[in-house]
Amino acid sequence: MKKEFFESDIGESYVKATLDSGLQIFILEKPLYKSAYALFGTKYGSIDTAFSVDGVKTEVPEGIAHFLEHKLFESEDGDAFTKFAKTGAYANAFTSFDKTCYLFSCSDNFYENLDILLDFVQSPYFTKETVEKEQGIIGQEIRMYDDSPGWRVMFNMLMSMYHNHPVRIDIAGTVESIAKIDYNLLFRCYNTFYNPSNMFICIAGNVDTDTCLKQIGENIKPSKTIELTRITAEEPYNVVENYTEQALEVAQPMFCFGFKEEYKGEISLKEKIVTSLLLGIISGEASPLYRDLTNKGLINDEFDTEHFCGNGYSALLFEGESKDPKAVADAIKHEINRLKNEGIDRKLFSAVRAGMYGSAIRLFNNVESIAMQLTDCAMNGYGLFDEIKYLKSVTVEDVMKKLGSLDTENTVLSVINPK
Amino acid sequence: MSAKLFNLAEGVEGLFVKNDRFNTTLISYNFYLPLKKETVAPYALLPFILTSCGKDYPDFSKLNLKLAKLYGARLNASAEKYGDYQLLKMTISVINDRFSLDGESLVKSASQLLLNLIFSPNTEDGAFLTEDLEREKRKAIEHIKGEISEKRIYAKKRLIEEIYENSPYGIPKCGTVEDVEAITETSLYNAWIRMLESAFVRVQVVGSAVPAGLFEDITERFSVTERKNITDCKISEPTEKRNTVKRVTDNMDVTQGKLCLGFSAEMCGNDDTTLPLMVMTDIFGGGPYSKLFSNVREKMSLCYYCSASAVRQKGLITVESGIETENALKAEKEILNQLEAVKKGEFSDFEFQSSIKSISDSLNSYNDSQNSIDLWYAIKINNDSVYSPEDIAKKLKNITREDVVNTANGVTLNTVYKLLPEGAK
Repeated sequence: MKKEFFESDIGESYVKATLDSGLQIFILEKPLYKSAYALFGTKYGSIDTAFSVDGVKTEVPEGIAHFLEHKLFESEDGDAFTKFAKTGAYANAFTSFDKTCYLFSCSDNFYENLDILLDFVQSPYFTKETVEKEQGIIGQEIRMYDDSPGWRVMFNMLMSMYHNHPVRIDIAGTVESIAKIDYNLLFRCYNTFYNPSNMFICIAGNVDTDTCLKQIGENIKPSKTIELTRITAEEPYNVVENYTEQALEVAQPMFCFGFKEEYKGEISLKEKIVTSLLLGIISGEASPLYRDLTNKGLINDEFDTEHFCGNGYSALLFEGESKDPKAVADAIKHEINRLKNEGIDRKLFSAVRAGMYGSAIRLFNNVESIAMQLTDCAMNGYGLFDEIKYLKSVTVEDVMKKLGSLDTENTVLSVINPK
Repeated sequence: MSAKLFNLAEGVEGLFVKNDRFNTTLISYNFYLPLKKETVAPYALLPFILTSCGKDYPDFSKLNLKLAKLYGARLNASAEKYGDYQLLKMTISVINDRFSLDGESLVKSASQLLLNLIFSPNTEDGAFLTEDLEREKRKAIEHIKGEISEKRIYAKKRLIEEIYENSPYGIPKCGTVEDVEAITETSLYNAWIRMLESAFVRVQVVGSAVPAGLFEDITERFSVTERKNITDCKISEPTEKRNTVKRVTDNMDVTQGKLCLGFSAEMCGNDDTTLPLMVMTDIFGGGPYSKLFSNVREKMSLCYYCSASAVRQKGLITVESGIETENALKAEKEILNQLEAVKKGEFSDFEFQSSIKSISDSLNSYNDSQNSIDLWYAIKINNDSVYSPEDIAKKLKNITREDVVNTANGVTLNTVYKLLPEGAK
């Protein structure tokens, strides 16, 4: 086992350990806390639909990662929820575009819960019957999202932005794609992506690092290391279409306005920080644009921005509700062009940066936020304290450079109109 | 960890919850007022307008810039129903001084900022400014109208309105669109004066220390206010029993339906005497071990979600579920069957113990979240002593199976609300 220790002047420290099997473990102790949060994840999400293992290429139906998440809670000796019920822990799981995570939080019986987590994620159990039953349940879940305007506005945007990248498909897949999932496919994906070399464990809270490491080391099942390659579809630079709309039961239009960016390989933490700063400067709550849009009655407190990025995709998103989404989109483009010409207000830059520094400090208040941040570290190879460090050194010029790369023509406006 | 109560003025309490584990300090102002149709909308608008600008920051954008400079201090406002009372809440949370990069006293600045916003709003000649009023009214109206977008939340809101059609708890928490439209610059100013004069007030600090001078400043601000008709936050009216179950169905262009049931319980209050109601509701429809989840959702696949929760102040239990239209009747029948099972004591020791353990585990985690601590104490205002979450977790161990059965036998169906696709009945 390889063990590294990281310490920061904000009074926090953590351990990163790598087992011989390749499993990565991150632990941050919070001795003053009563509770703890643990997460067992795999770098396997909805976009991993094409891959090769030891040179053999495979393509699988959309929605398998999420399907597996549902099935893993079942074991031969009863489901994981029942086991957690005996200890009182809160347990859950989620699948995103690039990962699947199983988690629990508790204030008592931590090590007993850790045992349950380690066991059920490593013990897949499904039969032809249980797979068929799950197809019905997930089909309902997919249809539930059809009524959710917030979900639809986002995925309609992604469908209009991406030609081929699987990020354009719903995380749960489609009713048609999940019908193609069977017992054999599930096992093949499990054996590929649930290999310890592709997995990580993140823990934060009132725990003892050495006890955790010992327990994890003793309970990770031996496995053969595999050579896994993700195959990313060729994605053109341009969006599919600039505008898409749908009518649903909403009171006023909802919108998601996205700037597609050229993907030039893995996005560094520094670039993510610069992009967040830029979003704050363009339309954060202290920005002139936010004031104008609010005063014109074009946005409300639902307005938000996001740097949406992962393996093979990157986009800047502006989302919210508005009586006139096209006017909002035009105003955002106009503001970007204005900033390109006039430059960035240094006072606003400093304030937005101070705000981000505060948020980075605030994150250490909450064991769940810490564990989620450690998950980001595991997925992307960052250090937990890198953000605070970079924030102190980032400059207006870094942000100006990023601003210059925005293409105000390569955008998608997705709108949900009232029926 | 300890909670210490101070008397700051007539009907104005300060509460300090000492907790050294956080990197931030949280200051929260809570104003309690009676829930009334005539006053609900202007009162509900107050926390939002007061935290959007003020005498020192007439432009909301400048205020947002100040908050960013205070390392992203967070100013939050809400107006919620607390039983038959309205709870107006304004909070500020800021990172502690030791993290400041330029040596500024962040906690003191944030504390002063919120104090000034609440007591020195941007008004002229007994009226709020038209521009500020119109901005906040528009946002409030858009928020009320927008509730329809999230069908799960909307269905629950409609259920509550139907159960309490003639009593305060049925009033929407921010009023109706018409109520908001009727607010004027002067009527809002008068509501602000009435809030300062008559609300029961609790100012809470969660962190390492009370910001220097804060409680003294509050005493001083209230010394120039004539405190009168102060809200007496006694126990709310219990939920009445209906002889005939009320049934309401709304139709909308949706693919899936929602089924919500409201029950009257005999037990009502906000202190430890309602613990059996908490446990009973959890066994019925709380965690994954509950009757509703394990049977109605998992075994019978009648709902894609199905859970129960209790509003203890009102002695109310609600069940929320998502259904395919053709399963509506079957699902309702099965939900009621599960309640019958609890009434007959047909729940295993596993279900009972799981429930106690789950509630107790969650109570014991409260002190790890500043917001949870604040919410916990903010709804403990008329008790003789202030219980901590751990105190309640300890008391849970005394709850017996008989307590659960007795509580369940006092529960009766009040209202069934359905939100179904167009044309479905």
